[in-house]
Amino acid sequence: MKKIRYIALLLLFAFGLMGFHHWFNTPIYFDVPKNWPKPTYNFKENPLTEEGFQLGRKLFYDPILSRDESISCASCHLQQTAFTHVDHDLSHGIDGKIGTRNAPTLQNLAWSTNFMWDGGVNHLDVQAIAPLTSEVEMDENLEHLVQKLQKSKTYPELFQKAFGSRKITGQYLLKALSQFVVSLKSANAKYDRVVMGEEQFTEIEQKGYEIFKKNCASCHQEPLFTNGSFENNGLTLDRSLNDLGRMAITKKSADSLKFKVPTLRNVQFSFPYMHDGRFKSLTEVVKHYNSGIEKSKTLSKFLVKPMNLSERQRTELVAFLKTLSDQEFLFNPRYSFPREKIE
Amino acid sequence: MKDKTLIFLLFISLYASYGQVTADSIRLRFIPEFKNAPLEANKKYISANNDTITIETFRFYLGNIKIGTANNEAENLEKNYHLIDFSDRASMEVAVKSPTQIENSLLQFEIGVDSLQSVSGALSGDLDPMHGMYWAWNSGYINIKLEGTSSSCSTRKNRFQFHIGGYAKPNCALQKLQIPLPNKWETKKELVVRIDLANFFSYINLSTTNSVMIPGKEALALAEIAKQMFKLE
Ligand code: HEC
Ligand code: HEC
Repeated sequence: MKKIRYIALLLLFAFGLMGFHHWFNTPIYFDVPKNWPKPTYNFKENPLTEEGFQLGRKLFYDPILSRDESISCASCHLQQTAFTHVDHDLSHGIDGKIGTRNAPTLQNLAWSTNFMWDGGVNHLDVQAIAPLTSEVEMDENLEHLVQKLQKSKTYPELFQKAFGSRKITGQYLLKALSQFVVSLKSANAKYDRVVMGEEQFTEIEQKGYEIFKKNCASCHQEPLFTNGSFENNGLTLDRSLNDLGRMAITKKSADSLKFKVPTLRNVQFSFPYMHDGRFKSLTEVVKHYNSGIEKSKTLSKFLVKPMNLSERQRTELVAFLKTLSDQEFLFNPRYSFPREKIE
Repeated sequence: MKDKTLIFLLFISLYASYGQVTADSIRLRFIPEFKNAPLEANKKYISANNDTITIETFRFYLGNIKIGTANNEAENLEKNYHLIDFSDRASMEVAVKSPTQIENSLLQFEIGVDSLQSVSGALSGDLDPMHGMYWAWNSGYINIKLEGTSSSCSTRKNRFQFHIGGYAKPNCALQKLQIPLPNKWETKKELVVRIDLANFFSYINLSTTNSVMIPGKEALALAEIAKQMFKLE
């Protein structure tokens, strides 16, 4: 009788485990920097785990995701430039095909609500479908990709560890990628340390900060350096691209030429700038805001009045923008190509 | 006594892990047709407008299956979404819970995916984006995908492509259907819904309308037309 009791207890325990396989995961706590707003990403629906993060990281750097296994996410999103496409105005994808937009940086996306320059994607978890299936980016088909991963030697095991199932699905693939991308957090620039009272701006940087708060912060709002809205910042329309931005999604003429306000964190390294990569340097960008604003119906009211910044003030502004560089982020080994074997 | 409790618990947990509650169910069967004959892939059909048509793809989302009367609360028979795909026989049969009240007289269901699911990221099962019913550049589900060829289309390879969807106002393309149930439906194990595509094409001028792949007014109009195809046997 004792034996039966023992076996029954053991079985009970086993069934218990089956119900709670998340048990085997190593949860990660997503740390929100002090005085930052609450993240918009719903971590409850995709709880961060070390296994999920590492799987997402491996996928992000793996060209298996493209049709001919030539392009990975990292081909266009390189860590040292805050995960943008270094030196390309329009991003290059499969077979050397050229897209129509500049790859944005990937940082602090846990606080974003809309994705892409026009905000056409409404949730981080479905964002990756766009590059994966785009003919000019990775040109894969999700169903085929899932089969490819299922057949590989390593992936079923890694999905098992992350999601408790060797059977790979589109959902798990996308959630794993999200776990990596949503973890890319930059919050340790000189600017942040100054805000925390740990460091001080130089005189030039401080002056630049004042200019920034007056002229730029309405859209590039601290601490994320974006307010997440869509604005027309006075760029002339490039007739060869005819990109009307947000209007392509909402079909409203009031949204013509509006693009998502990008974050300015690590902006020193994320050139070229704007949705089409038209400016090569921060000096050019500041010049645009100072004297290159094109007036049109949808131009933001914040940019109607000329800024009239002197050359010196423009230099100060650029000096401030450079305090948004976060070496810890750009060289964080946790975000880099997974050289070490992922167990 | 203790042993018995343990064994009882064991059975309960076994049941909870593997036991499927197999309450009485009825089956909904969808039969795509063209002019009252079962639809065949790549067969040449002539529409009411004299367009020569072949169908390659026909898939749609079915959701929120209910049974109710015109005035009372409807009873939900199935919460999950189903992707009905005319190239996959098994997908065209959907088992749902038997209603408890037989005086009900309307079969209700939705064609398409509601806005809540459309903003909830990557979902599982039939809603998994890997099934190709999700828009990459403008998030949201494709409610109905209908593709094929017609000599009336001056498009590449004479293709027509209708990806009908859109969850946000004012372009929400979700269609709610209410179809009167036949007499004595409660004695049947199966309800057959016929979907006649000839109906759809009778409303469409393929030389001008042949490629609708984004939410908007055109998609809305097509969704309304698509609704007319569904008939309960
Ligand atoms: C061929 C280059 C290319 C590849 C490969 C690529 N991307 Fe991108 N990525 C872009 C471009 C360009 C955009 C902006 C697209 C737009 O706005 O229309 C973008 C946008 C994004 C965004 C939205 C950022 C924001 O702030 O809105 C995320 C997230 C992202 N990519 C992640 C990924 C992931 C994950 C992968 C791999 C599955 C990937 N990208 C592969 C070029 C690429
Ligand atoms: C009205 C809102 C608004 C104001 C004010 C504003 N910006 Fe912008 N900024 C934007 C938008 C929108 C974009 C993206 C535009 C595009 O690519 O079409 C942008 C892009 C940028 C970029 C390019 C970032 C990248 O990754 O490509 C930089 C740098 C920049 N702004 C700096 C500034 C500075 C410096 C100021 C103040 C002098 C400023 N902005 C004021 C809205 C604004």
